[in-house]
Amino acid sequence: MGKIGRIRNVLIGILMILLSLVMLVLEPEIGFLIAAVILSVALLVTGIRLLFYYFTMARHMVGGKIQLYVGLIVLDFGIFTMTLTHVPHIYLILYMLGTHAFGGVINILRALEARRNAASSWKLKFSQGVVNLLVAVLCLFSLESTRLLVILYCMGLLYSAIVRIISAFRKTAIVYIQ
Amino acid sequence: MQADFHYYATYCAAFLAGYSHEESLTICYSAQLVDWCSRTYLSRLKAPLSAATTQLQLELMDADTDPVGLHDITRIWASFHFLPRDLYAKRERCSKRYRNKYRLICGPNGDLAVRTVELAKGRSLQAVGVAMHVIADTWAHQYFAGTPSLVINNTNHHFFEILPDGERKIQFRHSASAPDDIGQCIYTCSLFQSSEDSIMNLGHGRAGHLPDYSFMRYKYLPAWADYEEIVKDNPSDYYHAFCQLVYAMQYLRGERSAFEAGQYAWETVAPYEETVRQILERRQLDASADWAEFAESLSGEKVPDFDKNRYEQEYLQAAKEKKDDTFLGKFILAALAQKSMVTNQCFSSGNMLAGFSVDFAKKGFRGIRDFKRLVKQSEKERNNG
Repeated sequence: MGKIGRIRNVLIGILMILLSLVMLVLEPEIGFLIAAVILSVALLVTGIRLLFYYFTMARHMVGGKIQLYVGLIVLDFGIFTMTLTHVPHIYLILYMLGTHAFGGVINILRALEARRNAASSWKLKFSQGVVNLLVAVLCLFSLESTRLLVILYCMGLLYSAIVRIISAFRKTAIVYIQ
Repeated sequence: MQADFHYYATYCAAFLAGYSHEESLTICYSAQLVDWCSRTYLSRLKAPLSAATTQLQLELMDADTDPVGLHDITRIWASFHFLPRDLYAKRERCSKRYRNKYRLICGPNGDLAVRTVELAKGRSLQAVGVAMHVIADTWAHQYFAGTPSLVINNTNHHFFEILPDGERKIQFRHSASAPDDIGQCIYTCSLFQSSEDSIMNLGHGRAGHLPDYSFMRYKYLPAWADYEEIVKDNPSDYYHAFCQLVYAMQYLRGERSAFEAGQYAWETVAPYEETVRQILERRQLDASADWAEFAESLSGEKVPDFDKNRYEQEYLQAAKEKKDDTFLGKFILAALAQKSMVTNQCFSSGNMLAGFSVDFAKKGFRGIRDFKRLVKQSEKERNNG
């Protein structure tokens, strides 16, 4: 990772931490609205990224036109979501459920594989998997609680921010010896 | 390629090149270990994790696909399984990002293949084994890149097996546990993922194990070839690979003055051509038994089955300063050297997909600590003249 990449990662990480803290301090309804806006911005960005991906990469690929169509649809959906004042809670809940449950299952499978191979790292992986699954279960029980939903969302943001900052300080260059 | 070629066929090639039975065993064991030496394996040995030469299926699922994660994946797969043919390949009217991925497409007889063999010259037999794995895979894995990329590695429904009595459409499924059905032409491949950097788009995953079967002849449309059909003739490619391994090892033993791309030991293999071609053409998922029989007919010795635990205790019980002198220690040094060389070549070509490389001679030691072993090895070699 280059210096610019490291600085960018640290800055994005700090922004994410600040955002999650702000959301925690605000009223749950406002916090939830912010989360919904983030979701729609994410869709917009994804749509634009897909279009950019088509014009710079996928247009050279056999069957690459599908990327163009998907990009247009996602972008359209993002614009549509932006026009809504309230996104139904269920979208956010499903998103969080899916992310955490999938991550949890992968972590546990990895831990079991590591254990079969007698690697010492399996306990950490296993506990990560359990935590992810627990968060997914908590999401399931927070269908009615906007406050809890916002807290869970902020926890996810905080976690991503910390991982991003830590990764910015990792040594990554390979040494070449002639 | 699988154990049948990397282990048994490599033993045969080493023996034909002039190595003894024991030396050939060391070489073929190291060649096959490249497919086993994952981070999980190394962490059990408390060995440097940077020496990983492969990633387990679940390690891949868990791998980050951020730039650092992609560098790690590319270093492993491009260095050991999908050696790029031409890091300076021309491709007009495309973005730099696309061109960089295009340049990682694997193929035989490239500059990096020559460098790989030369890197093993004068080094351990384990280094020879690592190089032989890499060279063999340049034939089997050609047309795919050792980095996750939809625009390079994707395939579509246009996939036909070429049989003596005509063509047959290949059906793909995504059940990892179900074995390939060669009778019905049903094979397992990775899921289609529209994300450019999805791990499902790494290497030949989208074409399943077809490149790994020596008997397979097929045609398909690679994502990068502008709708131009490619016919892949594995029996021919594998025969070339076998003869090139013999040629490379004759060079490494000092019987040839140089290793040149596009040269093969045809004359050495000629007396056995019919047997080798028969093994390669036989329609079977695993040709290990045939190769083992051929190996025994060559050396008169039985080749034991590959056991990945065979040298673990030696490594674990060795004192810290003696670990590099053990079987696995030498393998680890060879793996680090190969990864270091390929990463440096990619970096020097302006391609950042394998990440940064710091030239020790110019800038000193700045980078991942595991590679200090290479510095020590280099100093040791210099001291020994």
